Amino acid sequence: MENTASPKVRFTVSALRPETITALLVLLATVLMMLIMKALNPTFGSLEQIAAILTTSIFLVVASYGQGLVILLGGIDLSIGVVMSIGGMIIAGLTNGSNQALVWAIPVTVLSCIAIGLVNGLGVAFLKVPPFIMTLAVATAAFGVALGLTAGSSQRTVAPALQQLMSARISGIPIPILLIGCFLIGGSLLQSRTAEGRKLYAIGSNLAAARIVGLPIEALTVAAYGMSGLCASVAGMLLAGYSSGATLDMGDPYLMPSIAAVVIGGASVTGGKGNYLGTFAGAVFLSALSTIITVLSLSQGWRNIIQGGIIVIALTLQTKQWYLQKMANRRLTGQGSPNRALSQNSKV
Amino acid sequence: MVMSMKQASREKGRPLPSSLFAAILYVVMFVIYSINAPSAITLGGITDLLNNTIVLAIASAGLTLIILAAELDLSSVGVIAVSNVLVATVSTKMPAGTIGSLLLVCLVGLLVGLVNGWLVAFLGLQSLACTLGTMIMCQGIALVILDAPGGEVAAFIMNRLTDTVFGMIPVAGLILAMVVLAWLLFRRTRFGIAIYAVGTDAVASHLTGIDVKGTKLRVFALAGVAYGLAGYLLSAQTGTGDPRVSNSFLLYVFAAVAIGGTSLGGGRGGVIGSVIGAAILTVMQKLLFAVGVADFYTNIFSGLIMVVAILFGNLSAILTLHQRMPLTRHGDHGYSAQ
Amino acid sequence: MNMRKFQWLIPIAVGCTLMAVANQMDAQGAKKYKVFLDMSYSGNIWQAAAANGIKALATTPPYDKLIEFKTIISGTDVQKQISDIQSMIAAGANAIIIYPLSPTALNRVIRQATDRKVLVFTYDSTVTEPSAYNVSNITARYGANTAQWMVNKLGGKGEIIFNHGVAGTAVTKTYDEQAYHIFHNYPGIKIVGDFYGNWNDSISEAEVSKILAAHPNVDGIWTVDGTYGSLQAVLKNRPSRLVVIAGQSNNGYRLMMADPAMQAKGLQGISSSAGPAVGGYAFKVMMEVLLDKKKLNGHNVEYPLPWVEAKDIKACAGDRFENGCNVFPDGKVPPLFLDTALDPNFLPELSLDAVQTGNPTPAATIQPLPDVKYADNLPGINCQDCKAPADALEPNLVTPIPVPK
Repeated sequence: MENTASPKVRFTVSALRPETITALLVLLATVLMMLIMKALNPTFGSLEQIAAILTTSIFLVVASYGQGLVILLGGIDLSIGVVMSIGGMIIAGLTNGSNQALVWAIPVTVLSCIAIGLVNGLGVAFLKVPPFIMTLAVATAAFGVALGLTAGSSQRTVAPALQQLMSARISGIPIPILLIGCFLIGGSLLQSRTAEGRKLYAIGSNLAAARIVGLPIEALTVAAYGMSGLCASVAGMLLAGYSSGATLDMGDPYLMPSIAAVVIGGASVTGGKGNYLGTFAGAVFLSALSTIITVLSLSQGWRNIIQGGIIVIALTLQTKQWYLQKMANRRLTGQGSPNRALSQNSKV
Repeated sequence: MVMSMKQASREKGRPLPSSLFAAILYVVMFVIYSINAPSAITLGGITDLLNNTIVLAIASAGLTLIILAAELDLSSVGVIAVSNVLVATVSTKMPAGTIGSLLLVCLVGLLVGLVNGWLVAFLGLQSLACTLGTMIMCQGIALVILDAPGGEVAAFIMNRLTDTVFGMIPVAGLILAMVVLAWLLFRRTRFGIAIYAVGTDAVASHLTGIDVKGTKLRVFALAGVAYGLAGYLLSAQTGTGDPRVSNSFLLYVFAAVAIGGTSLGGGRGGVIGSVIGAAILTVMQKLLFAVGVADFYTNIFSGLIMVVAILFGNLSAILTLHQRMPLTRHGDHGYSAQ
Repeated sequence: MNMRKFQWLIPIAVGCTLMAVANQMDAQGAKKYKVFLDMSYSGNIWQAAAANGIKALATTPPYDKLIEFKTIISGTDVQKQISDIQSMIAAGANAIIIYPLSPTALNRVIRQATDRKVLVFTYDSTVTEPSAYNVSNITARYGANTAQWMVNKLGGKGEIIFNHGVAGTAVTKTYDEQAYHIFHNYPGIKIVGDFYGNWNDSISEAEVSKILAAHPNVDGIWTVDGTYGSLQAVLKNRPSRLVVIAGQSNNGYRLMMADPAMQAKGLQGISSSAGPAVGGYAFKVMMEVLLDKKKLNGHNVEYPLPWVEAKDIKACAGDRFENGCNVFPDGKVPPLFLDTALDPNFLPELSLDAVQTGNPTPAATIQPLPDVKYADNLPGINCQDCKAPADALEPNLVTPIPVPK
């Protein structure tokens, strides 16, 4: 089919751009939100506060990367909160206040959490258990084991080096912000530019086609969940460094936001769409949103109402933008309804 | 396309294999439970068990409808929280409080469902993210109505709905039976069949003239009513209002649906399976206690049982797939969306 | 095909495993009381310390021979807690000690228990069911006392950050109400920022950092928990000028309070807040009632509110709180360790190891308790048809200073 070759090329190019545009729009919305708050409340929005917002968003930024990879496949990872906590507890328990122990404690922590992720991946890929249930079951079981072994909190102190990592600055910029920058660049490249990353997109968009083409679906599925475990372990270690301690419930506040960040950033929960810049924008957006809500000094009930409302509004605006982009694409390729059969419309 | 619709409705006439396996698992679990806890088969024991199950069962029944239509809904806990605090605040203050508060919470659930349905069907928002937003909003509304646990549920609701009628039949059991009966009638209606069709292949359904958007809207609304009812029954169980409903309940609702054999990708399954799934999750707690599993192992076994139940469900999926035409999109939808 | 056979075997295997595990838990021979600990929240340092304390006491002589003790974790779903309590009743429990998820939702099932002569005690978190016994310091006016203490230290004026606990709980509502009442008595006190720290140090640190960035002249922080995290935020962002702070009893926090270098930079702290030892205390009271060694005239017992100021802090040499010492040296325990997990007055049987692992202290035996102090009524918290005392919002440990002109 020669004719479909050139529209396909244009399809690929313009298929990437909507996602980047979404990401930029979310970042724009974040900035807009902050400007409005600053107008209403002059003490808001200082450089210091923005630095604080970015610094504390690192946990969500890292955790939602793994979540994003899994969602790209059309799955979901509900074990991220528990794995983060377990990662934090392992690093605290193994280092026990010593910096030298970090050399071997970090690999052990990371490998343990990857192992949990692999269990998830194996269950989803080979036993065909739905990701929702598999990751929930693994999270429940892992939580139980950790609770039984530790009674819920680490009695050891985290290595000082990790604590300093989270609080120190290089030429005035807090180290976590620099880490976020590196992670953003590295993560984006891995997801969108490597062959493995592209294969994840393919699997998420159309499983049957991916199978026909011969992609190693099971292997990539397991790998994606393993990566999610890896990200959760890193986020957990950073959180333990930040809080100077580890408890088994410290990762819980990050589970739902990790999903929200991915979706606000433009990914589709049915898979095949979204890039890391979008997820990153979503994570920053949520961090800024929670700060704004705090500043508004309302009761928790109103805070929840506003937070939920803003998520819905963000999604609505995003969908309008997608719709416009699709219209533009259709005019570009000159094709009509066959696109709809190939697109994700049937799931949405 | 018309052929596959007819085929789909013909299959509705067969007993659902997926819920059959769940039923077998439930029986096995209940037997082990009652061997270790003789009080399980007393009227009191069964009444307690049904009371513990019913909120989860009705919530997951509502969620089943949405999942059948190939959408997701996180807002169940939000609506339950709002219902619960409403019943606790108004049921003793309004005339005919028992019925009145029931209608009120069903109305509230309906409204939330309509909002969700409109956002998802007409504005095209992704259901997972959108209902996450509405869930958080509902949690906020519950906190605004009641900022700390309290309130008082009318005595009739609290005492009669958790008790038995004629000294023999638990009220909760009757309510469950009515829900199951309603489902059996419902799934043969045009609306019921439309839900399956939309969940299987929305584009094809649209082409055959089914109003996809309207179906989705109504599905969300109906599920909302179910959540309202679940919140009402929660008020009967606890006798008071609490603005916080735990997140773990939300995950159990999904687990109940999946364990019951409903495919999370849509188009396959049913309410009966989800009710059994809810029963499995509830009896699991009692089973682990009765057998004497140390708290260290409880969570591990919970996780294991969930996976086992799903494998059971998958078994049925493998069997049912062989009964369908090999080249339909069923094969993909069953797995690709997971 | 392989998978299908495999799947059929799984439930049978699970069933057999369950049976095997069950057979390991044999019933004891002689008549022992069946005592259950029912936890709801888990996985945080407070709950862990409280549960460990209770477990250690349950296995300390003579209780280890008198009772058959089991811990159940019900989780955060109230229906699961109801279900578990019903299971305990069915299993023949004689006494249940609970951390209830809600002051009201468990009333019906508790009544089912007490109707069958089961002794029901709660610790820290209370219930309004009249037949249950509550042991807590929720009636000790933490909010009013700490707020007044802060006002006194600030001279009646200054900027404050308010760190709420978990929203929608009776504890948060009660303490917030008391604290706001006191702060509003002094027009010079301004609450410039408030957030819901959820009793969590990571969240508290993050939020205080953000508010501090917008309000660099904050003078004080009021917390119930998450105190250490809140203080860390100030230390990292404004180390030259610290704050007046009220809150928990984390070991790291007490060490900072007593550190002259910190005090020189303006740190003034009060270490109060409900401690995990209330669990062990409630357990001992329950056991004394169960064994007929004590008769309670009221259903609400007040556990004294910890109240440690900087001048009272004394480092411990060993593993126990003795000779008036109340903090461990840096490095012996993690900074978040709760010093109020130990109580040398009421719980001399508990050592550091006991609250960290749940193992009984070697060579310890259960010591009798003095008479209990009964608590005020707090409607909606520990009683239903009752009235709070007229001064329920006023401090009773601190004398208020006059409002500055």
